[in-house]
Amino acid sequence: MRLGLERTPDWAAVLQRQLPVARTRPPRGRLVELRVCGLWESGFMIEMDDVCVTMGDVTLLAAVSVRARRGDALIVRGRNGAGKSTFLRVLAGVRKPTAGLVRIGGADVGERDLEFRRRVAAMIGLPPMAPDLTLYDHVLLVATTWARAPGLAVATTRDVLAELGLSGLSERFPHELSSGQTQLFGLAMTLARPFEVLILDEPEQRLDPEHVESVARVLRARRERGVTLVLATHSSALADGVGGQTVWLGAAA
Amino acid sequence: MSARSEAAIRVWRARSARTVGDRGYLVYMFFMVALVVAAPVARAVWLSASSMEGAALFASPAAPAVTALVVACVWAGALLLGRERGPALRPPFLTHALATIDLHRSDTFAGPVLRAGAMVTASTTIAAGVVASSLVSRGLAEPLHALAFTAVGAAVGIITTAFWLIGQAFSRAAIPLALGSLALGAATATFPSTRPFSPWGGVALAYPGIGSMSAVATVCALAIALAASLPTVMNRLSHAELAAQAARWDSVTIHAAGMDFSTAAAIYQGRPHRGRRLRAVRPMNRLSVTFFIRDAVGATRTPGRLIAGILALTGAGALIVLAFAPTAPSLLLGAVAGVLLFTGLGPLTDGLRHAAYVASDLPLYGISDARLLTNHLLFPLTMTAIVVITAVLVCAATTGVAVIPPLLSALALALLTLVARVSNALKGPLQPALLAPMPTPMGDLGAAIRLVWALDAVLVAAIAGVSATLILQTPILLVGITSAMLAVAVRRWRQRG
Repeated sequence: MRLGLERTPDWAAVLQRQLPVARTRPPRGRLVELRVCGLWESGFMIEMDDVCVTMGDVTLLAAVSVRARRGDALIVRGRNGAGKSTFLRVLAGVRKPTAGLVRIGGADVGERDLEFRRRVAAMIGLPPMAPDLTLYDHVLLVATTWARAPGLAVATTRDVLAELGLSGLSERFPHELSSGQTQLFGLAMTLARPFEVLILDEPEQRLDPEHVESVARVLRARRERGVTLVLATHSSALADGVGGQTVWLGAAA
Repeated sequence: MSARSEAAIRVWRARSARTVGDRGYLVYMFFMVALVVAAPVARAVWLSASSMEGAALFASPAAPAVTALVVACVWAGALLLGRERGPALRPPFLTHALATIDLHRSDTFAGPVLRAGAMVTASTTIAAGVVASSLVSRGLAEPLHALAFTAVGAAVGIITTAFWLIGQAFSRAAIPLALGSLALGAATATFPSTRPFSPWGGVALAYPGIGSMSAVATVCALAIALAASLPTVMNRLSHAELAAQAARWDSVTIHAAGMDFSTAAAIYQGRPHRGRRLRAVRPMNRLSVTFFIRDAVGATRTPGRLIAGILALTGAGALIVLAFAPTAPSLLLGAVAGVLLFTGLGPLTDGLRHAAYVASDLPLYGISDARLLTNHLLFPLTMTAIVVITAVLVCAATTGVAVIPPLLSALALALLTLVARVSNALKGPLQPALLAPMPTPMGDLGAAIRLVWALDAVLVAAIAGVSATLILQTPILLVGITSAMLAVAVRRWRQRG
């Protein structure tokens, strides 16, 4: 399957413009993907085959197999303790499965692998926040480290903050936010970078119904741009808003 | 205290009622600590104070002025401390329960204020008593003057408690009051003619050898007046402030009990409220410049911390120069310089700590963890080099000490303390293996090991300071400590997350 990044309007155009330069002199240390097309055998963006996680006698995630193509959405649902977060952690490469096979984009997962880092963005809990930076600074810093053009980082920051209704709070420090605003801010930091797979653990936490709806809209827009979404949620409104295939996890332990 | 307050506190205390065995163990612990720790320390203090050198120090002409300055500093410190952690402090739930009922704060919070006041007053009385007794034992003061000065010590304790409470009740006014106290204290110490007109001047005039009884009476009268005003001040304490202080202190004690001193200290760290419109992140082609500016602007958003950090770095540079002066206690000065340098680096390494946090979490930035950490090293490295080199050059020129050895020593120490900062940021939580008891004939060594683990960065900084001052005599020591610190930092880096 071809990875058509040209279908991602905000980043693909930039990547393509940068491609000739990047081929001759890649920027040191940056994780921007230079290969805009990829091909792997199965054609699935996400492949999980009989993946399970156990700790001693305790099963954290019962065996599960899923597949998702580019632009698909997997809505992971289940009771507390069913293994939703463990499922996401395995996909995000921060937890090794006890058994089974996990591949994203045809490659093994591993959070320290540069290719994997570029491809997968995840928010499982709030991302680390620096107390001495404002919201705008945070999002811009994340965007700056991913974008090759300074102007693009600024534009991305403004767009993401506006999308999540945070423009009016951009000069606040993290400790000056309410819990719901902090949740949206965490999402903004996650969305300020390019990705092909987006993994989110209960992004509706602490949000009122109106904001849950706007988050669903934002995620749906990402999906329409070709991003593969994996979302653990207890919110039917969010699940319905995003659409996609529901993966029900049973009791793990 | 009213019956209702007492009943509420009784219910609270009943939650963790101690058995007879628990009480017996506490009594045993108290006596053992007193016997093994407190008694030898008290004896050492008394022997030093009553020695010829100690008595000569206390009898020096500058002693009354220094005492006035110290008292002014203590009162200013009490006012500032009250803003963060006042004497009227109870556990969060009890604070909420007692602060929201229809009883005066002077009734519900008198207990902790009196207990805190008793501790402070006992400390100042003992300090004054030691000074006075030392002078009497060497025949340098009359017993009556010594007794009066000890009473002044008690009065200073009561005034300190009152200022502590005032700082808690009037947190905004506390800063100008503290600055005023410091300025007037310095003026009193400098101009002896002003002493009769200020309480700290009164303390100086009551010093054994001068023994002005009118000054003693003035200071004691002030203490009585302030003690009488304590209930009024307590009634001005706001519920919000009491609840916030109780919650913070509760968190601090929990983290400190778990040997997580960094988190405990961070709870009282000033949060930024200024410079929000200053652009900290400026996208540039060179990310290292972007991160340098980000760290610099971030540091200026808590200006008080930044200034304190720079002063600490300056002090460390000066101490290193002094350590190379003939007859100076080099090793002690080197150790203090190491600790001071480590402390001063705190406000400059916020970005570094954030990078360490990010490195142990899900990928966020578009650069590798190693490059993120390296970029965040640039600002503290540059600032430390500038401040320390300037301090060394100025201090060496002032004191006449040869500049090259302290300069080499200071630069080596600056690098080592930065490595200690990186290592500390990557340390992670206490390893479960360290929680295991380590029974020995001297008792359980587990607690001591955990304390060393918690304070390892400070201890290493002190050792690095000692080795840096010996750079010319035994450079092998410096090489050894550098290798060990780097090995630990690399190991923690590999085990992050």
